[in-house]
Amino acid sequence: MLILGAMGLIAAFGGIGLWLAARVRRRPEEIRVLLTALALLDTDIYWGATPLPEAFSGIADRVEDPWRNFFTEVKERIERGEAAWPAWKETIARLTGAFALKPEDWLIVLDIGKGLGRSDQQEQHKQLELAQKQLTLLREQAVVWAEKQAKMWAYLGFLVGCAGAIFLI
Amino acid sequence: MPLHYVNSRKPALPVPVRAGEDGEAKVGWDEFLGWFGRRLGRILAQTEIVPGRVEEIRLRVNQPLLLRLAGEDVFLDRTGQPAPAEEAYRVELPDLAETMDRLTQSSLYAAAENLRQGFLTLPGGHRVGITGEAIMKQGSLQTIKHITGLNFRLAQDIRALGLDLLPHLISSERRLYHTLILSAPRAGKTTLLRALIRWLSNGVPELGLPGQAVGVVDERGELAGLWQGVPAYDLGCRTDVLDSCPKALGMGMLIRSMGPEVVAVDEVGHAEDVAAIAEALRSGVSILSTAHAGSLEEARCRPILRDLLAGGIFERAVLLSRRRGPGTVESVLDLARGQEVRPWARVANRKM
Repeated sequence: MLILGAMGLIAAFGGIGLWLAARVRRRPEEIRVLLTALALLDTDIYWGATPLPEAFSGIADRVEDPWRNFFTEVKERIERGEAAWPAWKETIARLTGAFALKPEDWLIVLDIGKGLGRSDQQEQHKQLELAQKQLTLLREQAVVWAEKQAKMWAYLGFLVGCAGAIFLI
Repeated sequence: MPLHYVNSRKPALPVPVRAGEDGEAKVGWDEFLGWFGRRLGRILAQTEIVPGRVEEIRLRVNQPLLLRLAGEDVFLDRTGQPAPAEEAYRVELPDLAETMDRLTQSSLYAAAENLRQGFLTLPGGHRVGITGEAIMKQGSLQTIKHITGLNFRLAQDIRALGLDLLPHLISSERRLYHTLILSAPRAGKTTLLRALIRWLSNGVPELGLPGQAVGVVDERGELAGLWQGVPAYDLGCRTDVLDSCPKALGMGMLIRSMGPEVVAVDEVGHAEDVAAIAEALRSGVSILSTAHAGSLEEARCRPILRDLLAGGIFERAVLLSRRRGPGTVESVLDLARGQEVRPWARVANRKM
């Protein structure tokens, strides 16, 4: 019985560690998806002069959750009459929990929303290009960080589980 | 790319309902107010003025909120009640900014072409004139920023309009005479043009008029009221609409591609329009058009219209005024004979 309990403890903590590791690994992936979304948005604005709700709708069709939810909600808010910036900001505030992004990532994402739709195509293109450069840099750092952190959480989970089991025995 | 642009997705904001059973225009007022900022929308929603009477809503920064009705200007206070100018609600910059955000769906870049022309077209064919600070680049208008004034002009769509006028515009062979509708601004040119297009397209069995293929070059997006590919107005079952295309370019395109019997355009006024109309005549289509001029004499004083009239292109001219409200037909002229069309002259000055 005791052995079973110890094994359960190790499995539980190990599972938590693996879950945290997977969450950490999501961060660079979410940045990558955002980069794809911004590239699509840039193309839609620069070449198609596509209005934001329509552009967001197209992006939502082509990216995965949680960004799909994010762009769908911003689109719906703008269609209901909200301006782009409050819609962007409030959607971030509402959906932050669904992402693995860190506060410094959100600062860049917030910045993107500040100028959205408020200038001509050239200006929009410049702003989106700048955001993409910043995110690319951030993603490179995030990949390295995530690898280390993921290993740490995975090991830590099992180690805590083992320590608990030893203590129990 | 203009704002009434791109695809066939359902309009983001509802298209106002037009044309009631009784032939009178009905405005989907509540939906229409969705284009205004929240505060302005609330004020306008509270007004007891019958929406159908409103021709224009004028927003000017730091100036009173103004409704223009037929022959009357009304200022509104915070509660939507008529008030003297000094007690009326003063439109503020955030009101204009919020309204512009709604009009452009927060996508100013997408409305760049419209800003260059100085107006946006909304679902239902309503037009919003824009004033502000003009940004010039290499001698041409690049855009307008720091918007200081918006003028909402509500479009009308009255089903029975133009029917009693039609017999005087078609020949014994049931061909539409080349027709020019003339009036000063806000006298109902576009509304009448839209109605005539629909009658010609659907045909009028009572007049022995079969339906005809009508090509419409809707340069300003007012005739069909297309909003993202969805027309707000019924222009008839045989009508092809080329939206947001310059008239001079679009007329040739339509003739080559769609084989219309009638080509309809709104507000001719440029030299290239005259050339395009002359070219269209060579292909045998009938021309139905409008132009700004309070009278035939005024039209003859304007270089472009003078050329059109002197060239003998048009066979009929319909003169409209606001004397008894928008759409008052002052006369129908047989331009070839230089006289009024007799049956119409007997009942001239009636309102359509």
